[in-house]
Amino acid sequence: MSSEILKLQGLVSGYQPDLPIIQGVDLSVSEGEFLVLLGPNGAGKSTLVKTIAGLVPVHSGRVYLAGADLTDVPTHRKMRQGLGFVPQTENIFATMTIRENLQLAAQILPKARRAARIDAMLAMFPDLASRQTTRSGALSGGQRQMLACARTLIVEPQILILDEPSAGLSPKMVSEVFEQLVRINASGVTTILVEQNVKAGLQIASRGVILVEGRVAHDAPADGLLGDPVVSELYLGGHKKEEVTA
Amino acid sequence: MITQAIMDGLINGGIIGLGAIGVTLTYSILRFANFGHGELLSWGAYVALSLSAALGAMLPSLSTPIGPFSFGWSVPIALIGSMVLTALLALTVDWLLFGRLRRSGSAIIILVMASFGAALALRNLLEFIFTSKPAYFTNALQISKPLFGGMRATPDQLLVLGLAFITVVLVHLLLTRTPAGRAMRAVSENAQLASLTGIDVRNVIRLVWVLGAALAAVAGVMSGLLVQIRPTMGLDLLLPLFAASILGGIGSVPGAMLAGLIVGLAEALTIQVIGAEWRAAVAFVILVAVLLLRPNGLFGKATA
Ligand SMILES: Nc1ncnc2c1ncn2[C@@H]1O[C@H](COP(=O)(O)OP(=O)(O)OP(=O)(O)O)[C@@H](O)[C@H]1O
Ligand SMILES: [Mg+2]
Repeated sequence: MSSEILKLQGLVSGYQPDLPIIQGVDLSVSEGEFLVLLGPNGAGKSTLVKTIAGLVPVHSGRVYLAGADLTDVPTHRKMRQGLGFVPQTENIFATMTIRENLQLAAQILPKARRAARIDAMLAMFPDLASRQTTRSGALSGGQRQMLACARTLIVEPQILILDEPSAGLSPKMVSEVFEQLVRINASGVTTILVEQNVKAGLQIASRGVILVEGRVAHDAPADGLLGDPVVSELYLGGHKKEEVTA
Repeated sequence: MITQAIMDGLINGGIIGLGAIGVTLTYSILRFANFGHGELLSWGAYVALSLSAALGAMLPSLSTPIGPFSFGWSVPIALIGSMVLTALLALTVDWLLFGRLRRSGSAIIILVMASFGAALALRNLLEFIFTSKPAYFTNALQISKPLFGGMRATPDQLLVLGLAFITVVLVHLLLTRTPAGRAMRAVSENAQLASLTGIDVRNVIRLVWVLGAALAAVAGVMSGLLVQIRPTMGLDLLLPLFAASILGGIGSVPGAMLAGLIVGLAEALTIQVIGAEWRAAVAFVILVAVLLLRPNGLFGKATA
């Protein structure tokens, strides 16, 4: 439980060279941890996880995965080195069927393992198994998130990062997705979850990190943050914003 | 005579379809209209012509016509060589020009204008090397043979039609059944998500250039075999190629071929019914009509 899997060191990043959005983030994540990344709209949560995935240019600082410096490694190679990332929107190939999405994701595995991994994902997400030839653009929001998770988990990443998988889902679907995440984390996959709903996020995670204006404002065990009067006043005030996925 | 126009239209349409596949693939992956694609057809034809002439000079037996066809083994061998060399040419242009523009985050319109420039340079280079005088793979004359329904076609023409059909089936299978094809479709839908799936987008771009250029070489050689080889042959085919790729729906290989056949047929029937001087307008009319009435084409995926 204690070995470090992800480490961010003085990370500064942003979409334009002279406009840093992430303004110096240090973070160390241990193997098996379930970390929820919280913060107000525009705090930079998505930017931070996209930087880790290699989708946003790093201005300075380093990103280490299992001790290896991956800062300048292109996205597709990061994915091959055990990093799994589910973006907030457009996280499946809508023109392809469920099965094609899985086949595509399995493509970077050795040939002999592909079929078994596809079967393992279908067993893990039975909803998908019964609809393999459905065009994934026709799936409901919850099923899409399941497929997005399956697409990412198929290669057995060491760490799974999800950007607001609950956005736009019904409360019932949200709890289904969260249950699945808890199960995935329990199977040994380190999990980082970006979440708008502070309370729900802190209830399933073991650790909470609150990002404000591109900096880490709080970093503490989840149950501690849940009971923290400052946090609850700042972020549990009830002005939860509804978001709709595109 | 209408039946003959249909035959001629199908044959020319097969060539247009092959070229349109290249346009549709580069468009769907690189997201810009490459107005230099026609030049790849011309270069494909001239490279094959040079290789075939060299082969014929070294081994005269290679120039003896095969069976009923007008050409010897030097042409199919040269075609394969030309597919490889035309692919290398496309990769070189991408490396020198488009790749740099992509990396610097240039707008689409810059890439389109650059493709105009590349086309001009490539075409003038051909004219400089080979002059603008028409050239031919062989001087052998071919007699067209009667088929059914009063149609006539030469063995070369039938071969071209058959080869075009087989090529489309192969490319379609490549795209739908193989990992490389799946990766291409993934990049065409969402390049960022493709890289998050472990796909090296740069490799896919290279593959698209290779495939598009190789098909352009095949189409160029076919056109050279049936008509003639001129530095402007690709330019003349450009409008039909774009009409076919848009009518077929950007990204759709069977769509590009079917639309190529439709454009070819429309051209041939126009010549027959209205007059040869209207031929050039046909592709333009189709292009405008599709853009106005059905911008996603016959088989295009609707963009939400
Ligand atoms: N593609 C982009 N190009 C330029 N700036 C961007 C881009 N995406 C986001 N930003 C800016 O970066 C800042 C942080 O945005 P980010 O999306 O990371 O916030 P967030 O914490 O994920 O917010 P939310 O809760 O709304 O998802 C914002 O000021 C936003 O305007
Ligand atoms: Mg966000």
